[in-house]
Amino acid sequence: MRYGMVIDLKRCVGCNACTVICKAENGTPPGILWARVLKLESGDYPARRVSLPVLCMHCQDPPCQKACPTGATVKRPDGIVYVDTAKCVGCRYCMMTCPFQARYFNDAVRGYFPGQGLTPYEVLKYQDHPAGVVTKCHFCKHRVDQGLQPACVANCMAKARYFGDLDDSNSEVSQIIRTRRGYQLHADLGTDPSVYYLPP
Amino acid sequence: MLDRPFDYIGQDLRSTFRPQREWAQRRGLLLIAAFFFSGIGAGGWLFSLFLSWPTGLVWSLATVVVASGAAHLAFLGRPERSWRVLLRPQTSWISRGVLGIVFFAVSGVLYLLTGAPAWADAGPGGRLLLTLSAFGAVWLLVYKGFVFAYAKGIPFWNTAMLPALFFVTGLRGGSALVLLLAVVAPEGPDLYPLEIAKLWVAVSFGALLAFYLWATSESCVAARRSVRELLGGRVSVAFYLGVLAVGLLLPLAWGAVGLFRAQPEWAWAVVSFSSLIGDFYATYAVSKAGVYRPLAGDFRVAPKTSQR
Amino acid sequence: MSPKAPSPNEASIQEDRWIPSACGICYNLCGIRVRRINGTVVKIEGDPNNPAGMGRICPKGAGGGIPLVYDPNRLNVPLKRTNHKKGFDEDPGWVEISWDEALDLVTEKLQQVRREDPRKLVYSQNLMRGTAPRLLPMFAAAFGTPNSIISNGHHCGNAEHRLAGLVHGVDTSQVDFDLCNYLIVFGSGIGASAYYAYSSLTQKMADARMRGMKLVAVDPLLSPIAEKADEWLPIRPGTDGALAMAMLHVLLNEDGLYDAEYLRGGTNSTYLVGRQGRFVRDQATGKPLVWDTPSGSARPFDEVEPKDAALTGEFTVGATAVRPAFVLLQERAKEFPPERAAEITSIPASTIRRVAREFGQAARIGSTITLEGKALPYRPVATMFFKGAHGHNNAWVSSMAMKWLNLVLGAVDVPGGLLGTNPVCLGYPQTGLPHWVPQLGPDGLVMASAWHAHSARGPEMTQPWPQREPKAPERLDLLDLFAAGSGGHISVLLTASDEAQRFGIPYKAEVLINEGSNLVMSLGNTKVVAEALKKLYVINLNLFLDETAHFADVVLPMASYLEQLTPIIGWHLQHTFPAGQGSWAEYIQQPVVPLAGQRRDPSEVLIELAQRLQILPGLNAAMNHVFLLREPYQLGLEEKYAWPDICDRVFKNFYGPEHGLEWFSEHGVLSWPKKLEEVYARPFLKYRVPVYLEWFPDLGRKTQALLDKLGVKDIPTAGYEGLPGWKPCGALEAKNASHDLQAIYYRVAWHQFSSTFENPWLGEVSSVDHWADCITINRATAERKGIKDGDRIWVESVRGDRVRGRAKLSNGVHPEVVAIANNGGHWSKHMPLARGKGVFFEALLPLDWENTDPVVTVLDCDAAVRIYKAKDQETGGRGWE
Repeated sequence: MRYGMVIDLKRCVGCNACTVICKAENGTPPGILWARVLKLESGDYPARRVSLPVLCMHCQDPPCQKACPTGATVKRPDGIVYVDTAKCVGCRYCMMTCPFQARYFNDAVRGYFPGQGLTPYEVLKYQDHPAGVVTKCHFCKHRVDQGLQPACVANCMAKARYFGDLDDSNSEVSQIIRTRRGYQLHADLGTDPSVYYLPP
Repeated sequence: MLDRPFDYIGQDLRSTFRPQREWAQRRGLLLIAAFFFSGIGAGGWLFSLFLSWPTGLVWSLATVVVASGAAHLAFLGRPERSWRVLLRPQTSWISRGVLGIVFFAVSGVLYLLTGAPAWADAGPGGRLLLTLSAFGAVWLLVYKGFVFAYAKGIPFWNTAMLPALFFVTGLRGGSALVLLLAVVAPEGPDLYPLEIAKLWVAVSFGALLAFYLWATSESCVAARRSVRELLGGRVSVAFYLGVLAVGLLLPLAWGAVGLFRAQPEWAWAVVSFSSLIGDFYATYAVSKAGVYRPLAGDFRVAPKTSQR
Repeated sequence: MSPKAPSPNEASIQEDRWIPSACGICYNLCGIRVRRINGTVVKIEGDPNNPAGMGRICPKGAGGGIPLVYDPNRLNVPLKRTNHKKGFDEDPGWVEISWDEALDLVTEKLQQVRREDPRKLVYSQNLMRGTAPRLLPMFAAAFGTPNSIISNGHHCGNAEHRLAGLVHGVDTSQVDFDLCNYLIVFGSGIGASAYYAYSSLTQKMADARMRGMKLVAVDPLLSPIAEKADEWLPIRPGTDGALAMAMLHVLLNEDGLYDAEYLRGGTNSTYLVGRQGRFVRDQATGKPLVWDTPSGSARPFDEVEPKDAALTGEFTVGATAVRPAFVLLQERAKEFPPERAAEITSIPASTIRRVAREFGQAARIGSTITLEGKALPYRPVATMFFKGAHGHNNAWVSSMAMKWLNLVLGAVDVPGGLLGTNPVCLGYPQTGLPHWVPQLGPDGLVMASAWHAHSARGPEMTQPWPQREPKAPERLDLLDLFAAGSGGHISVLLTASDEAQRFGIPYKAEVLINEGSNLVMSLGNTKVVAEALKKLYVINLNLFLDETAHFADVVLPMASYLEQLTPIIGWHLQHTFPAGQGSWAEYIQQPVVPLAGQRRDPSEVLIELAQRLQILPGLNAAMNHVFLLREPYQLGLEEKYAWPDICDRVFKNFYGPEHGLEWFSEHGVLSWPKKLEEVYARPFLKYRVPVYLEWFPDLGRKTQALLDKLGVKDIPTAGYEGLPGWKPCGALEAKNASHDLQAIYYRVAWHQFSSTFENPWLGEVSSVDHWADCITINRATAERKGIKDGDRIWVESVRGDRVRGRAKLSNGVHPEVVAIANNGGHWSKHMPLARGKGVFFEALLPLDWENTDPVVTVLDCDAAVRIYKAKDQETGGRGWE
């Protein structure tokens, strides 16, 4: 069992619904974007542009996990890599070792309305976001454990995201990676990401 | 002051070469300080051993345990859990480093308790402790280089040259620390061998630094960007003023003059102090110049019909 | 050390519910479900049971609601202005008052104007909170005023709405993404960043592209749709009509690629045109004549087999030389050979020819497809356009050109083509409601059955065909005079400069009821709008103390869409609901959290006001009319009903006694499958569509005569044309050697005009985007002007209005264009998160007659500008002058 995601860059319209639905689902504090979209422009006028949604790649050989001095970064048997916020000391070494800029340090409890306290939503959601620790995408493990897809997958308007078992060669994700020549970002680093991309 | 650089997170996230800030700015400065203190303390320990100088040993040990330890703790997001960082020496260079600090501190303190400042005066137990503490000090000089070198996210650091570079800066910082202590202490050891050693280390540091910058700038775009940040970007003031002018040229020039004509003691104090500043800035500049590996580094933009 | 967050405690969860509702961030009303834990909203996602959104929701919908509900900067108490001087720099001197006092104040003012002349009341509402029927227009009808300001004014689809009414018999149009193979989009973000049914069409568009549909995007900017397009055609803004005309020329005159069979039987192409562009008509019946080829004579159009009617040629009827209308279209197209269009549009002639040819060939003229056992015409191509292309004062002729590309290929309301947004609705099977079918009108042309029918805006707005006669104006939006218009900014023009008198209107606007629209930021030139607001007593029902509230006299705190009750029935199905195959749905927008502070539901407030003003019978009658209430659900005129009771009646009236408010509150949505004849109307209905709007030149002459009578000289009526065409828009004409660029406006997927900028989640998305908060400039152009990436610059219009922002260079924008996303740059200090974010585009737009298309009353939405670096000390302030 190895959970993985496939992002179809041909389908993606770069709308950032993933960025926002992730925020709504996980209640991440300001400046912390577990999911986001990069816009890459190339060529002279008239140029081309590609939207590249990124998140934690859930590497199967995660350098962040090796770097973590406390064991706070955990890889589950199903391949999901997450941070146990009760163990993290906030040394941020994992942020330096992650090749995908997927990690964020939540240094203080901070709401989206500066100087105006926390909203009821934030009060509730920040239970999962203690200060002084590093956070990142965990493939919505709370949803996955209930048999749901991660929020960004379930909500993607262009249906550009697929989620499933990479170990099962008959799964939708495995098949689509084969047929559409899916690839990993920075595959040369040998971290074996569980997020694949389909060419635009 | 030490809050996260939250205001420009948007700008950072959208830039191709996103700067690393957590280990260089605001609260991150504490980590630079921690690295700096552990390096000069360990180096100072080694030189003090070499000179058999108890005052130097005490102060060097204190620099590691008190200054570096406090800075480390203050840097952490959750200092109350700091004991946890000892748990993963199998894989984590941070664990290995902190274990090294503990090991060094314990063996160092025990050695000092034997009351024997020099190898010759020590008994077998003392000699063992002394050997162990020396190993610990060398480990401290080496490990932070490995910490950086393992960082796959930051190509500028992700090179085997950094352990060597940081080893040398630590040695140089240590010699400077001892030299400074020797000047201010009421009775100090003979400075001449130290002056020579320090000069030699400074020359090696300069050469290593040049080689490091040249080699990394050839390695990949992100590392080249970091070199550009050092030489002409965000970090250039710290680099030219802190690392080169104050940290390298001044001590080198003065040191060279000192080879031919004896200098007053206060001059050595100035040179030592400027070396220490240079040492701090070396770690700071290398750290701050780090930019993350671009996410789209190997991104394939397939050719597509546009305006055929 | 930072404070520790409370530790999680799952045992403390007493309530965890998903509540079905409708999004209210934009006009599209996508179905949502809202998760509430212990009374706190924690998640909004698409409702999988609702075909509006199909279980997925755009970033605005996903993130718009939670920060909106909990924004501490929301209004919570009624406020009264104490400084009666109004101006951008005047402090209104707000004091808190009770609801009673506020309603007393408002009632007194309204009673006073109603005694004098009820038409002195103008209303405006934020259409962004959905196209569901809302009470304010009904309140206005009861009050006795026809006067409104359409708050999204020039962002509305004036020309498209009228043409969709004439061609599809409905308000808007969408692409049949299930079957379309070749789509050309002019200036719209359909299925990519905006447009109707956004959450649904994005799914369908992506599926279509994966299926192999070719997408060509005509856009000055490498917008999201251009990014996804197989081919991006960067065009000079305001010239889309010229491109479409050249493509028509290629199809009609060079390649002969057109659907003659459809044009003969499904349009008025064969109607014979005689003198002065008028149809030759049968003397007895008045029906237009066509040339019957077998008999060699002219006969009424409905007496000739379509295959026998001449499409081309020249004939004589009596002593009159006549030609089929189609020939006029061909000749008009000849005025735009691709070489000429290339100069106008900056798109190479060879590209124009190739794309037109590909498009024509992809239409598979003559082919059929079998669906549900029925063989239907199959034309898998479509062109569609929206604001970017028709937001110009050449909107009328240009829009025809873009729409006509579908017409000549027969790709209208058939599988694969451009579909009207649900032209036929046969109703929920158990009740047969709602129900509308386009009817056969005069001259055999389609008569929209329910065009804007559920609005209470009065009969003036109800039919594009038959065309109503223009008359001397009595309304401030002049829609009685400009009989093909759709409202917008004209009421503001008339109020700002006391122009009402010039048009012979015997009264002036005195009071404005504004429900949540930020007029100052969304109607073109801010200074003009402000002048109008200074002359009005403004009653503002609002969520925030925004830039428009700054000019208000009384501000009332309102419920947001997550705090109020609205039945989603009727009109939205023709306007914003997904077209094409699928299901119908009628649903509910309901409160998911109790009202905080002293906020109230606007519907409740208006009912209360109506009672105080003693116009409740009128309001009840208007609701009976708009909601089509029949016995036993009809409202008694004298009685005061609670709003939930009215909603209950509305639901039961449409869907039977078992489907009342309670049912909808629990289930959210009532959905049933569409029938084939509802989706593809044309093969099932015997009506024709005009390719030649014979009556339009005449309409222009009549309008001109009325203007002459009034002595109004500065409004040209030459644009009342019956055939497609192109002329330069105001910005193109104003361009000169120094003002050599055009500023355009575009939309990002995560902002809704100016209304979402206070939202910190959406603002954060902008902050990580390269362009969204900046002014996008072509790299080469910027370098020529010495502007570097990140420089702070001014964009200054010909009239000296200017806005400030940060330059972002790009190779993805036309060299003559600066592009600004949405309407940012708020300056109200009561919206601290919106303040200073983005760039305030609207300030650049001239708001005047010169830049207004009087045919469909739309404003030119681009401006001729120059750009230059801002001085270092130029910071702060409002960011515009």
